[in-house]
Order: sequence, then structure tokens, then C-alpha cells
Amino acid sequence: MEVERITFERTGGFAGMHNVVNINPRDLPEEQAKALLELLDELDFDELPEELKNNPPLPDQFTYKISVETKDGEHSVTTGEASAPEKVQELLQMLNRIARKQAQQKR
Amino acid sequence: MHKHSGINCFIPPHMLKNIATKGTESQKVLAIDTLKISAQMRGRRQALADFSAAAFRVASGGKERIVYDAKNGSNLPGTIARREGEAASADVAVNEAYDGSGTTYDLFNDVYKRNSIDANGMRLDSTVHYRTGYDNAFWDGEQMVYGDGDENLPVEERLFNRFTIALDVIGHELTHGVTQFEAKLMYSQQPGALNESMSDVFGSLVRQYQLAQTAAEADWIIGKGLLTANVNGVGIRSMKAPGTAYDDPVLGKDPQPAHMKDYVNTISDNGGVHINSGIPNHAFYVTAIELGGHAWEKAGQIWYVTLKDKLTTNSKFQDCANLTYQVAGDLYGAGGLEQQAVQKGWAAVGLTVGGTPPPPEPGGCLAALLRLLGAAPAKS
Repeated sequence: MEVERITFERTGGFAGMHNVVNINPRDLPEEQAKALLELLDELDFDELPEELKNNPPLPDQFTYKISVETKDGEHSVTTGEASAPEKVQELLQMLNRIARKQAQQKR
Repeated sequence: MHKHSGINCFIPPHMLKNIATKGTESQKVLAIDTLKISAQMRGRRQALADFSAAAFRVASGGKERIVYDAKNGSNLPGTIARREGEAASADVAVNEAYDGSGTTYDLFNDVYKRNSIDANGMRLDSTVHYRTGYDNAFWDGEQMVYGDGDENLPVEERLFNRFTIALDVIGHELTHGVTQFEAKLMYSQQPGALNESMSDVFGSLVRQYQLAQTAAEADWIIGKGLLTANVNGVGIRSMKAPGTAYDDPVLGKDPQPAHMKDYVNTISDNGGVHINSGIPNHAFYVTAIELGGHAWEKAGQIWYVTLKDKLTTNSKFQDCANLTYQVAGDLYGAGGLEQQAVQKGWAAVGLTVGGTPPPPEPGGCLAALLRLLGAAPAKS
């Protein structure tokens, strides 16, 4: 899977803040890019359902939307933090770290 | 297959609930296990709210707390760090969760005569040190959970402190539990924003109660101390002036409206539950300021009775306005200062209650002129 861009969006949480980052794997340190792409492959990201949300939603939990663009198109998955399977949790943690690093660079 | 699954096949839920409450110890364990499994299947939170938490938490008859430590993992509740009555821990987050849930219990118990979250002595469980770098706190349907903020980053990069640092955050999470047992406000759109607002209202009242502040003395900030010195902001939300709590290059600007004309229509954040809560938050603030004195006394009482007895799953802002107005009349007399204060509170955010005349339509000379010009229909 040739990933061109990942859009990572986090909403909700106690603070209700809305964070969106665009991640180009080519801009990441090599190790990190490799780990990220391997995890997407391992997850069969394209095959994941579009909605992994809690129903009903849980107070103050984060909601995440991960969109992965390849040359063949885009696939998005929306998930609550508690409703994400363990492997997706790993992906969320990884993307959170990258997003945080990017946010820091705004300062 | 679960070892107790046999019980699931034969006994209807209402009977299980009975067993869970009144059976022998081993029967209770079986019944509770089964209820928990079916609860997980049906959507854990609501199902658990269906029966009294006393069924699976021994009612103590008084304040009973346990603070757990997740040790940076995600398994809940984690290992026990402090039980009711035990001496303070060396861990500040453990003590904050313990003391904060105690103060919240005290406000509800002393002022509103409510014995814990379920009004039946439910034990207050909290877990601290949830995950690493976790900028959040939540109520999971059974307990409170707190992250440590940005503890894994260098000090100069941190934006969030630990979430137990602010007493109103603790009160906020516990109030989600109260709402779950009472109004059961759906966590979406306007009912969700009311759910959030109730948590902010009682979260703020817990802090005001502890500090013995009057409405005029209180800062009405939610999450004071939660943002580090690296952030341009005083907290997460302001009930006094929604939309002004922070304005920062990394975190952005506080998006809360203070008036219905600025209501935010969005699909994110479950329909803006943490955004539009600014509107009912501000209505409460104005009501409390109008009444003067301690906000937890009259304003808090009116909101508490409304949450407990009046609001339902689908209630919207206008419903809450009408019901708080009605409750103010019931508790303190129709047309009294309390009811007027509630009316002013909602008027400040653009909602009319209690038969205040709507804005006048053009009448008299203006209407005649408009009719003459053909701009208004002739009176029938």
C-alpha cells in the first residue's frame, strides 16, 4: 500500500478540543515511517469498517477519524477510544505522538 | 465460554437484579457477573444504569472511596492505591482523586441530601495514571478515570497537567454518573450539551463549596490549573464568559458560544456537546449572580431538582429553561426573585421562559405604513 497522506483528527474529550493534522510518511523519521506503514499493513486498514464508534457515546471520551490516502483512493475509519480494538489503539497512540510533535512545531 | 454463562439462559434480568441485591454472597456474584456480561452486550453504560449500582457495589451507607492506579496502562480499574479512611499516599494524584471525590460526595450529600452517585451509597471508584501522555479524564459508566496530561514530554513542551489537579474536573466526572442515574441525557446534540453543562455546573459548585465562595467571588473557570504555563489560557471553559478561557497558537481558541445566536452546528464532538454547553453554563452563571450569595444554595438546588426530577433523555435547552423556571416557582414561589433570576439567566443566552412577551411585531403606525406599501399582509 503506497500511502500518500494520512489525516488524523481528534475531537471530544473533557476539553472538547478539535485537532487535525496531515501526515506525509515521507516527512517522518525513517524508523517512525516504517513502523507506521507496517502497522497499517498489519491492520489491513483498507478493510477496517468505517465506524468503530461506541454506541451510545461515552462522556468525555475522544473520537478519532483516521483517513489514509493512497493513489487508489481514500479510506476513513472513525472510532471512539474505548471501542477501538487493541491494534487500532496502537495506531492511535502512534498517530497521537506524531500529531503532538507537529503541533509543537507551530509554537 | 464464561464459566457462569448458564445463569444467563434461565433467569430474566429483573430477577437477576433482585438476586444481585438480595441474594446470598455467592448468588450475588453469579447474578452480577451475568448482568455485567449482558450489560456489555447491550451497551454497557445504559444497561448498568438500569439497575442500581448498589447491586454490584456494596452500599456503605456513607462515603466510600477507592482510588486505583493504572500504572500508565489501560486496564481498569488497576491496583488499589488508597481505600476509604487510609492515610494519605505519597502520590499526589491519588490524594487529589481521593479528596476530590470526597468533596464532591459532600456537596451532593450535605446540600442536596443525595447519598452518592446513585443516591444509594454507591462506592466512588477513581483510577489515576491512566495510559501515558493521556490528556483527558472521563466517566466510563462505572468509575472516574484520569490521565497525567503531558507527563511524558519535556517540561517546556507540556500543555496539560495531570487531570486530578482541578477539583471541578473531578466534580464534572462524578456528575456524569449522577446524570446517568437521573435524567439520562443522551450524549449528543442539545441533550448532550445539557449533560456536559450539568457536569460543569456541579463541578464548579464543588470547587466554590470547598472554597466557601459566593457567586460573585468565584472565577467560574472549569479546569483551572490544568493548562501549563506554556499555554495562553486560564482553563478549559469559562461559565462567566464562554469563549474566553484560552487562545493559544497550539490549542487554538476556546470555541464556546454564550448565546443561542452563536449556537454551533457541527457533527464533531457528538454534535458539539463540549462547545454548546457554553450556553446553558452561562444561563446558570447569570442566574447565580442574580441571586447572589452561595451559588450551590438556591441556583444549585433549582438545577439539581431539574436534573433529578424533570429532564429526560431528549431534553433540549428550551426544555431545560422551562423546567428550571418551573422548579424555581415550585421551590421558592411563583413570581418570586428566584424565578425572576432564572428567567434573566435564560434571557441572557437568548431563551425566553415564563411568558415574557415576545419581541413586539410592528404595530400601529408602522404596520399601517407597511400595509400601505404592500410590504405586509392586510389584517384579516
